[in-house]
Amino acid sequence: MIIRLIALTTLAYLVLPLVVVIGVSLTETKFLAFPPQGLTLSWYAVILENPTYIRSFLTSAGLAALATMAAMLVALPAAIAMTRYTFPGKSALSAVLLSPLVLPHIVIGAALLQFGASIGLVRNFPALLVGHVIIVTPFVLRTLLPLFSHDQLSQEEASRDLGASAWSTFFLVTLPQIKAGLVSGGIFAFITSFINVELSIFNTTSTLNTIPVQLFNYVQYSVDPSIAAVSSLTILAAAIAIILIDWLIGLDFLSGS
Amino acid sequence: MFTSRLTLLWLLALPLCVFTAFFLIPLGVVFVASLTTQDGQFTLSQYGRVLLDGYHWQVIAVTFRLAILSTIICIVLGYPLAWYLVRIVKWRSWRRACVIMLILPLFTSNIVRSFGWMVLLGRTGLVNDALLGAGLIERPIRFLGTETGILIGLVYILLPFTVLTIGNALARVEPSLEHASRDLGAGPLRTFCSITFPLTMHGVMAGGIIVFSMAISAYVTPALLSGGKVTVLAMLAFQQYSTVFDFNYGGALSITLLTFTMALIGISSWMTRIGVHEKKGN
Repeated sequence: MIIRLIALTTLAYLVLPLVVVIGVSLTETKFLAFPPQGLTLSWYAVILENPTYIRSFLTSAGLAALATMAAMLVALPAAIAMTRYTFPGKSALSAVLLSPLVLPHIVIGAALLQFGASIGLVRNFPALLVGHVIIVTPFVLRTLLPLFSHDQLSQEEASRDLGASAWSTFFLVTLPQIKAGLVSGGIFAFITSFINVELSIFNTTSTLNTIPVQLFNYVQYSVDPSIAAVSSLTILAAAIAIILIDWLIGLDFLSGS
Repeated sequence: MFTSRLTLLWLLALPLCVFTAFFLIPLGVVFVASLTTQDGQFTLSQYGRVLLDGYHWQVIAVTFRLAILSTIICIVLGYPLAWYLVRIVKWRSWRRACVIMLILPLFTSNIVRSFGWMVLLGRTGLVNDALLGAGLIERPIRFLGTETGILIGLVYILLPFTVLTIGNALARVEPSLEHASRDLGAGPLRTFCSITFPLTMHGVMAGGIIVFSMAISAYVTPALLSGGKVTVLAMLAFQQYSTVFDFNYGGALSITLLTFTMALIGISSWMTRIGVHEKKGN
């Protein structure tokens, strides 16, 4: 009974700030009010008329999509090499490729800024992109690694024995079996890139900005309900991503035996 | 299908190139910068500035205090919630809804989540209103700009990680082991302490490591909820890169932050491994 109470209170604690943000975005007042006073969608109209928000939103989406695709191109061969081969330095390689998961993003961002300054890779889209590829690759790699099994190896050998080329074996035999993992890892990667501040903040400018960095800059100096409206839209995007993952792999993974 | 050494080389080429060029070399550049003066002379003075100064130790102490407290609170709150989701919830759809509620915050930017707390924790925010209304306090408590406020925000952001890792461990515990313990006369508490909890220890450790490493390097949440009144290590390092432009001193701060993070991850995974060995030895 006590456990149930603690658990439900904790769940409420997890949902409360998001409810507050959505609530604030609907207020008629010019200041942040929760519970909202009156109900209006006018703050959403305000942000839709603001070209900088639209531009940042597009930058974020494009950046996340490209970083995710690049991360798949990096993680897929790495996962195949790590599961199908033994080679010296394998554990070191896996440690390096997975380490951005736990290392401070602010340090990775600072390092890329300092290094990029020497080769002109600063405050432009490619600079943002390489950083995001580094931090999202481990998400794809981590979901791919457990998916390569020994059964696949014999199926691939069978396919080769029957005359299929290495490429068609990959696309017809291997890829279908890891597709769900690749997609769910890709969604995690996309979201991680889409919500990142710590890394992007080093390379954004007033004309090249991502949505979270723009929010971060606004929230520190001035707050009005339009920020809550932008925030609510990102919550909506997150909800869509989760429903997609649930539909793809099912989120019932916490069920006991 | 993939058998020759040449294929291996092809497979590793892209990952190796990308991570060497944009991860290992940049980190190396920071490391070198932290050990040199502005004109490129070798020096340890940057680290001296960081490690021989009372203010920095104060910042490091705040960072650690926040990280340790967040880790403990996340485990203490996360375990019952994981237990509830795995053991108590019978209705599949409700569990699914709970998992979505758990993951939704993870998929939302730190900014948005901290922004929610900025609204909630203000002087006239919902939390103070509720506490005043319940007669628990007489005057509004100041949360924003205090360590308590940052702690509330950090726990909020990191809690789902412990729930997920503990929940996964809990779902894998063989029920027959618990039944055996009960059949042999152990009470529910004894069974939990000597069977269930040790079997989920790796989940607790894994969650703890994630939470600790993210809390110690957190930037956005402390920056937003501190209102500039509390400083953590990540904020100090960022200032050097964004406003002061002292890359050498900033490098030393970054490497210090990196070292602390890696040392703690190392210690925790070493402790987990020792735990596993002991279990095998018995």
